[in-house]
Amino acid sequence: MSDEEMEYSDDDFDAYYEEEFDRDVDHVDPQKNDPEYFHVACLTDTEVERLLNESVEQLSNSIQVTPSLAKLLLHMHGWNQMEIVAGYRQDCNRLLTTAHIKPPTPPQPSTSAQQGDGETTCPVCLAPMSPDNSSHLSCGHMFCKDCWSKHFEVQIVHGASTGIECMGSNCQVLAPEDFVLPLLKLPRLREKYQQYAFSDYVRSHPQLRFCPGPNCNIVVQAKECRAKRVNCTACKSQFCYRCGNDYHAPTDCETMKRWLTKCADDSETANYISAHTKDCPKCHICIEKNGGCNHMQCCNCKHDFCWMCLGCWKTHGSEYYECSRYKENPNIAHESAHAQAREALKKYLHYYERWENHSKSLKLEEETLAKIRERIQEKVMAGTGTWIDWQYLLDAAALLARCRYTLQNTYPFAYYLESGPRKDLFEYQQAQLEAEIENLSWKIERAEMTDRGDLENQMDIVEKRRTTLLTDFQQG
Amino acid sequence: MANIAIQRIKREFKEVIKSDEAQKCAINVELVGDDYRELRGEIAGPPDTPYEGATFQLEIKVPETYPFNPPKVKFVTKIWHPNISSVTGAICLDILKDQWAAAMTLRTVLLSLQALLAAAEPDDPQDAVVAKQFKENHPLFLETAQYWSHVHAGVPKGNSEFSKKVRRLMDMGVGEHQALVALSSCNWDMDRAIEQLFS
Repeated sequence: MSDEEMEYSDDDFDAYYEEEFDRDVDHVDPQKNDPEYFHVACLTDTEVERLLNESVEQLSNSIQVTPSLAKLLLHMHGWNQMEIVAGYRQDCNRLLTTAHIKPPTPPQPSTSAQQGDGETTCPVCLAPMSPDNSSHLSCGHMFCKDCWSKHFEVQIVHGASTGIECMGSNCQVLAPEDFVLPLLKLPRLREKYQQYAFSDYVRSHPQLRFCPGPNCNIVVQAKECRAKRVNCTACKSQFCYRCGNDYHAPTDCETMKRWLTKCADDSETANYISAHTKDCPKCHICIEKNGGCNHMQCCNCKHDFCWMCLGCWKTHGSEYYECSRYKENPNIAHESAHAQAREALKKYLHYYERWENHSKSLKLEEETLAKIRERIQEKVMAGTGTWIDWQYLLDAAALLARCRYTLQNTYPFAYYLESGPRKDLFEYQQAQLEAEIENLSWKIERAEMTDRGDLENQMDIVEKRRTTLLTDFQQG
Repeated sequence: MANIAIQRIKREFKEVIKSDEAQKCAINVELVGDDYRELRGEIAGPPDTPYEGATFQLEIKVPETYPFNPPKVKFVTKIWHPNISSVTGAICLDILKDQWAAAMTLRTVLLSLQALLAAAEPDDPQDAVVAKQFKENHPLFLETAQYWSHVHAGVPKGNSEFSKKVRRLMDMGVGEHQALVALSSCNWDMDRAIEQLFS
């Protein structure tokens, strides 16, 4: 992007930002010292269209190509104008070839099928074609216009748009917009094509993201791709700008993904099996011990063995505690694998239970909020104070939700954190935050008995703890 | 069926029959029924491969939108190859999927399949078991593929050791093809094949 362009979009950016700022009811000032502060603009598709077209126009003017080709180039190069212009000045042929706008080798004089009398036929439908009902891309592969239309139709039905290639064998030259659109007869297809292309452009643009909210058409613009919270102004959904999933500070996107996959898949089932079961030494079927007796009989192969040492029961004698002496037999390694699995399961469950518990608490506190609303309503009706007087209670509940949300997301982070002073510090701060949050929750549940000053004091403490933790540990 | 599809298939059918490759019996195509919706293809196993001397039958289904969409092709003859399912005959080949171009023809498809037999892509497998053997125990893969060509695709040269193992499983009441699949996928380990078949 040229400097001019950057400047322009900055202005644009501030204009959008201010608009969003006005609607922002968050009572914490989005100052620069807030670790969660993130500059975004929520754009409608017309605004995005305008933004993209400006880039296209600039590039098309600076390197003298058609707007359609400029669009294709920008799409291929992540909308990096400077890179394209530099590449063009250096070796324009190479730039156009790698972007699949020109073929690697210049087109042959005649690539279409020639018949004896010199009349050409379309290689796809085999019907005769004249220059005015046929057309080709820079590769020179000539096909009749009806075949081009049908080709585009099939490709669009498959969901393709910016990636539609020439029909020639092994030809990867792309069809630009101004080649495709005039050949599409049905308005429905043109609309689909433009819609798909628009999505492709937004996805290739480093500063744009679709809002992941259901049926939301908003595109979020941010200067940097960071793992920060975005509040969509249209559908109110909150998400992480970088990965598009639920916001997850202080954990980073990759760790969060690993954690969620771990929670969803059955790797812990495998760990459970490993920790609580053993394989029959004879037929290797998996056995879960369901009683206290260590004399096991496999239900599959009827083999009698000792649960402790996995030795044959017959040679074992009646005193099975004897086997505790056989510490040095090969089962030691076996046992330690079991012990490891058990330890891993314990560690995971420790973090998972806390993560789950905070998620449940968040839901319960939503109910508390509903109750607070009810009580405020009653109080206002009874003439004790006005809505404004009781507003602080709602603020407190909102703050509690935000803090608990962060606290919940500290658990996946801690799970993957390696032991050491950094983990100690993290867990210390986590414990502090946890304690203050429970304190706040307790005070909110007993709002009537709590002094307003006391509550607001507590709110301040909790938010400070949270910001400290985020400032120290948030990544991405 | 759309006119273009019929025109094209008629012409490509002739192109295959008259091609040099067909003269050398390397590829062939026949009609199934009379509406050009389905064809029966045939390719010869390429020389210097475990498929040499074999003839493979292919089912070719021509979609309504041909040639804008690729023909649907699968192996009817059973084959041991990383990019072809040993169970269903489904093929993993780029030109039959996203790299299809409307200007390609039946002849290019048949020749590409023949080329696939000569140069497998084990990193892009259709049959994971075969691909694993291809990469980890290549000599055994070659022998297995050759034996499959013998059993299913008319190659005279067999393998007495493999035949014996198959027969032993057949004596236990297992079908011939089932025995072949079990042994091939267990690297011809009799005990493991039995375990797989009877567990």
